[in-house]
Amino acid sequence: MTTPGVRVLAALTTAAALLLAGCGSPSGGGTPDPAGELTVALQFPPRADYAFDADDGKLLSFLGVGETLTTVDDEAAAAPGLATGWEQDGDSWRFTLRPGVEFHDGTPLTPEAVVTALRYVAGVEAPPRSIRDIGFEIEADGADAVRISTTEPDPVMPLRMSSGNLAILAPAAYAAGDAPDYLRSGTGPLVLETVNGVESAELTRFDGYWGEPAGAARVTVRYVEDPQARALAVQAGDVQFAEGLPAAQLEQVRSAGAEVVEYEGARTVPLQLNQSRAPFDDVRVRRAVTEAIDRPVLAGQVLAGSAQPAADLFGPAVPWGATEPPAGADVERARALLAEAGYGPENPLTVQLWTFPNRPELPTIANAVQAMLGEAGIRVEITVGNYEAQEPEVLAGNYDMFLNSRSYLSDFPDAASTLTSDYTCAGSYAIDQYCSPAYDALVDRLNGTVDPAQRRQLFAEAAGMLDTDAVGVMLVHPLNTAVLRGATGFTPDPLQVRPVLPQLIPAG
Amino acid sequence: MTGLLLLLRRLLVVPPVLLAASVLVFALPRWMAVDPARAVLRARTAEAVPDPATEARLRVELGLDRPVVEQYLRWLGGVLRGDLGYGYVSRTPVLEQVGSAAMVSGLLTVLALALAAAVGIPAGVYAARRPGGRWDRFLGAGTIVGVAVPEFVLAPWLVLVFGVWAGLLPAIGWGDPAHLVLPVLTLAAYPGALAAQLVRAETVGILQRPHVLLARSKGLSGQRVLWRHGARLATTSVTALAGMFVAGLLGGSVVVEVVFGIPGLGRLLHRAVPAQDLPVIQAGTLIVVAVAVTAGVLVEAIATALDPVRRTAERAG
Repeated sequence: MTTPGVRVLAALTTAAALLLAGCGSPSGGGTPDPAGELTVALQFPPRADYAFDADDGKLLSFLGVGETLTTVDDEAAAAPGLATGWEQDGDSWRFTLRPGVEFHDGTPLTPEAVVTALRYVAGVEAPPRSIRDIGFEIEADGADAVRISTTEPDPVMPLRMSSGNLAILAPAAYAAGDAPDYLRSGTGPLVLETVNGVESAELTRFDGYWGEPAGAARVTVRYVEDPQARALAVQAGDVQFAEGLPAAQLEQVRSAGAEVVEYEGARTVPLQLNQSRAPFDDVRVRRAVTEAIDRPVLAGQVLAGSAQPAADLFGPAVPWGATEPPAGADVERARALLAEAGYGPENPLTVQLWTFPNRPELPTIANAVQAMLGEAGIRVEITVGNYEAQEPEVLAGNYDMFLNSRSYLSDFPDAASTLTSDYTCAGSYAIDQYCSPAYDALVDRLNGTVDPAQRRQLFAEAAGMLDTDAVGVMLVHPLNTAVLRGATGFTPDPLQVRPVLPQLIPAG
Repeated sequence: MTGLLLLLRRLLVVPPVLLAASVLVFALPRWMAVDPARAVLRARTAEAVPDPATEARLRVELGLDRPVVEQYLRWLGGVLRGDLGYGYVSRTPVLEQVGSAAMVSGLLTVLALALAAAVGIPAGVYAARRPGGRWDRFLGAGTIVGVAVPEFVLAPWLVLVFGVWAGLLPAIGWGDPAHLVLPVLTLAAYPGALAAQLVRAETVGILQRPHVLLARSKGLSGQRVLWRHGARLATTSVTALAGMFVAGLLGGSVVVEVVFGIPGLGRLLHRAVPAQDLPVIQAGTLIVVAVAVTAGVLVEAIATALDPVRRTAERAG
């Protein structure tokens, strides 16, 4: 029961909260102070004790601790990292190592050190996807190079080597024979000094770094999963950098003087349509669904600008993705297509839409899609359930519509893996049950294509073919966010391959 | 029957309850169709569809190919030996993870309940002195707010006021005494308000009882009657409530631990459930159940010791 007094009090306190939320000294940037220290709030804590061979693959790279043989440039092409050059010779690649590189423990980077590191990661129970099932082998090749061979000639080995799972640690890190010791054993601009479980970590600048030194002398990392807590920590001045703030919190931190950066990510929310049975085995019905959904409205209004409308599978996060926004809904065209397919007021179409709540935006999108399709005459019944229970059913083709969220780059910036697993006839994650010999032939051409520009062209063509065949509806690409208050220097990396913390410079 | 024997008799109920709880804790994930082998691989590789060969190998390695009863007995044997295995996700010993998290949550729980008692009980007794008086009305309004405002509202509020606006206390973190203040205030609000309400109501009733009126007629001072007769008896009902709060705060302070970034048991379980980290979920749940049952028994014993009527009745029984 709520008394009038409590309601008045609640109203007053809410008003005061809004006022307080806007308080705070404006700072945002300020004068860079490379001798200063930073505290940052990161969204994702280490899941597996920094086991970079597993799910924490990107973390050591993100922190600027571990480095890989290659990195990527703005065009998503391989760029020099611990290796300065590479060349293919049949089914092997020779990587020339960067001279003068030291590990944090003072030992030099040698071919043997690289062999030790990569043999370890290739030999774990579930090796990273970037080198799995390709017959990966590595050996030293002279005093300054390693040779990596595979069962078949591999066109993207330099890109594979940019995967954070393949960071090279000092040989001593592997000496115990168990999981590598990640403390003071990387080569990056920051040294991981101490970790406190999944709560925090302390890093210091590595004075012997081969490249541009880290922007801060010391960085304290706090892992804060709650977005509201990260926002409040920025406002309170507890942290100078935070990532992953929801749209609803951005205005609040802006008003506290923080600099907010929103940038694209390599993720798509697709509405997947089961093409193994009616009604979505009929391309006209699939196109009707596409026409009926207003993607700009989904991104701009339903998700309050926290996503971009998707025109294809990839979007602007990668050089081969569509950059033009999709058209809005054409309900009349949708109705006409449905009528062609035999559906209308006399024979209404009712479908089930499944989704899951792990990503909180999905149920919201599902409700909006239900309303939009209802306008076109398609009745949608939504089930928000457990992904674990839904997955076997959708993979077996026992569903109508499935609202999913999918990162389309698996560990390294090349789309071949997703294009194969999700859309080929024999794909292991082919939820749409799409099977097109023409598409399979197109994807097959990737196996023999080394040139990055040609590969990008093939990726774009594949995405175009999926669009033409209305293989599901690519709805939105969620945006990433970063917030700085008392720090500068952040450069967005939609591919999320390059280190972030070394860029940040304390600003007084 | 002596107090010690009464306590021992009560404690006898704990082992069978825990055994029954262990069956439920072990079986629940299986009833929820969680496949441990897939959970391990998903946790380690973040892949939508794990490699079938690796999955089959892991199934044997984890003993999932054995009969369920055998799996349970092996798991229970490990629990009894203090071997809770390794977390699927972190690959670190579960005992370390759960033990350290339980210590953190335990500290928060003790401090929050101590604060709630230290503020709520005297406030309730004081308000009972003059029912309907100014302090009583003020306390009534304050405790309604304390009971009604949920933690997920109160916690950010406190951060906004003390962290963002006043800049007196840190918004997040753990390790310094300053990090304790806002979480403990948040956790203490509800039990403190409830204790104040309860003590006030009980004390008002007790002050009308014949033995209290007799004490007053004999010339005992109002303050003495209030605190010696009223407060002591009223506290017994609050003590019974404390048992309930101990378990709730230990495992259920998820909101506070997540909002303030505190490495407690609630946050650990909150993280383990979506990751399907079964060893952590099972161990954490078992600890919460064990603490709940034990705390319930102990608190009941304390309440009996404080209440002469209950004490007499139990000894007679």
